[in-house]
Amino acid sequence: MSFIIRRIMFYLVAFLVAATINFLLPRLMPGNPIDIMFANAGNTMPPEAKKALAETFGFVERPLIEEYFIYLKSVFSWDFGVSIKKYPLTVMDVLMQALPWTLFLAGTSVILAFCIGSLLGIYAAWKRGGGFDSIISPSALAVQSVPALVIGILTLYLFGLVLEVLPTSYAYDPSLDPGFSWAYISSVFYHSLMPIGTLAFVSIGGYLITMRNNMIGQLGEEHVVMGHAKGLTDKRVRYNYAARNALLPSMTAFALSLGSVMGGSLIIEIVFNYPGLGNILFQGIIARDYPLIQGQLIIMTLAMLTANLLIDFIYIFLDPRLRKA
Amino acid sequence: MFKFLSIILRNKKATAGLLIVVAYICLALAAPFVTSHDPAKRVARPHQAPSVEHVMGSTRMGRDVYTQFVWGTRTSLMVGFSAGLIVTVIGTLIGVTAGYFGGVIDESLNFITNIALVIPQLPLLLVLAAFIGKSDPFMIAIIIGLTSWAWGARVTRAQTLTLRRREFVEASEQIGEPSWRIICVELMPNLLSIIGFNFIGSVVYTIITQATLEFLGLGDPLAVSWGNMLYNAQTSSAITVGAWWEMLAPCFAIVTIGIGLSLLNFGVDEISNPRLRTLGAINKAVKAQKKFDQTYKSAKGAAS
Repeated sequence: MSFIIRRIMFYLVAFLVAATINFLLPRLMPGNPIDIMFANAGNTMPPEAKKALAETFGFVERPLIEEYFIYLKSVFSWDFGVSIKKYPLTVMDVLMQALPWTLFLAGTSVILAFCIGSLLGIYAAWKRGGGFDSIISPSALAVQSVPALVIGILTLYLFGLVLEVLPTSYAYDPSLDPGFSWAYISSVFYHSLMPIGTLAFVSIGGYLITMRNNMIGQLGEEHVVMGHAKGLTDKRVRYNYAARNALLPSMTAFALSLGSVMGGSLIIEIVFNYPGLGNILFQGIIARDYPLIQGQLIIMTLAMLTANLLIDFIYIFLDPRLRKA
Repeated sequence: MFKFLSIILRNKKATAGLLIVVAYICLALAAPFVTSHDPAKRVARPHQAPSVEHVMGSTRMGRDVYTQFVWGTRTSLMVGFSAGLIVTVIGTLIGVTAGYFGGVIDESLNFITNIALVIPQLPLLLVLAAFIGKSDPFMIAIIIGLTSWAWGARVTRAQTLTLRRREFVEASEQIGEPSWRIICVELMPNLLSIIGFNFIGSVVYTIITQATLEFLGLGDPLAVSWGNMLYNAQTSSAITVGAWWEMLAPCFAIVTIGIGLSLLNFGVDEISNPRLRTLGAINKAVKAQKKFDQTYKSAKGAAS
């Protein structure tokens, strides 16, 4: 149990660091940060709102350390101020509308990519040097270096505009009402095919390579040789002896890749005009909506830390040594 | 140098990668000689399809796509290499210091590294770039460099830790060599392949990330770069109106340089770690042996 407690303490510190960056950045800028934040707001915001926002960000005439604690208090009470672009709405409201879509996109594609990539990696390593390995491994290397942005644009062009088989924007048909109806769910599925497909495709290569390399390391180990010597089936040696151990370092790579998958998801949403965080953020950036951009860092960090915590639990499941520690 | 080159040329992946990268470097250096227009000036009618005069067509603003592509190569490579340098220097310094000195130094540096790893990169970069304002490519290189060193530091630290226990390092300690000498003379040469891997990987990462930040509208709109080409194409909805060439050129550029650098990287990795190879040579030998066995058998059969 102490392992989990240690991890949670660590995530708390990481969260504080992200919040501190948000606190310090406006203060490091020349001029009055709140005025700069509002430079693009024009006349859409009344002066009271400006004052309230200043308080949220701790811009009150106090010593810096007190300002910091006022800011932290507002962060921990989920108050990220009001959005400049969508004025009456708070940053929290705007982000919370979009977050489920991003989690859906990133979550589904990352799990899909990890499972497919790892399975392919296991096979590539098992028949190392065979026909499958010598085709799939170099292509995985090539795919791995292609950014989500480019794949997204190319698939959008090919499937959305040339072949016209898949929708090019929105998360579901705008004429439908959200609800638990077959039409709505199938529409969501249909609209998510392209974004999830591209996102998964981009990250498969990385997982494949990691798994293949870990597997190759495992296959030379004595316990695998012993598994063969005991006359176990190939399948059993492959999955229960080699792959299970190769999965541990793969999980670490998986945890490290989550950040880039979330980044990729932001980009994909813009390309496919998907109503997630990325899209909201794109509008926010163009309007220089600083509270929104800052709130996004906090929310994304939080999502990342939660995912990491889940992975820690999986670690305990995979590695019995951690249960006793 | 020639010896190093001949080692690389023996590996197919590394050779292909090296060729692509060298081609781009030459293109970037020769930019003023291979283009005849100003990349930022209107030289054609808007959205012209590729033709003899404008080989890659023109943008919505009537700029020549080919010229922008060539000058953008300069920007991307410069940003990529400078950010890669920053990442490698910081990552190596932190990694080696943590791995070599151990104890409290290691624990605190490792803690910082882990925190930097767990905070999502792109959202952090968005906040930094947004507050800096219209970031020119150089500024983007600096912020990417300062935020992306964690992975390299982690890998370098792990390698340093294993080297630290080897006999040659312990021997140098016994004869009283100062720490700086052990680090520079004993450890560094053995870390070179990891440092190189880290550097090339960071260059790829930076080129992609710079393009992404500019695509999101956080770059300096006056700079000529692949990311700005994408941004302009996206905001003028080039794809929807059928001007695919405006999107294709920067996409092609980012993909090929990315693949080139990665191939070089993995080729070098295979050279230094033979276990990762796809065993082309051994398979060939096995096949040759089988063929030989068969002809031998049939020859024997014919004789008897």
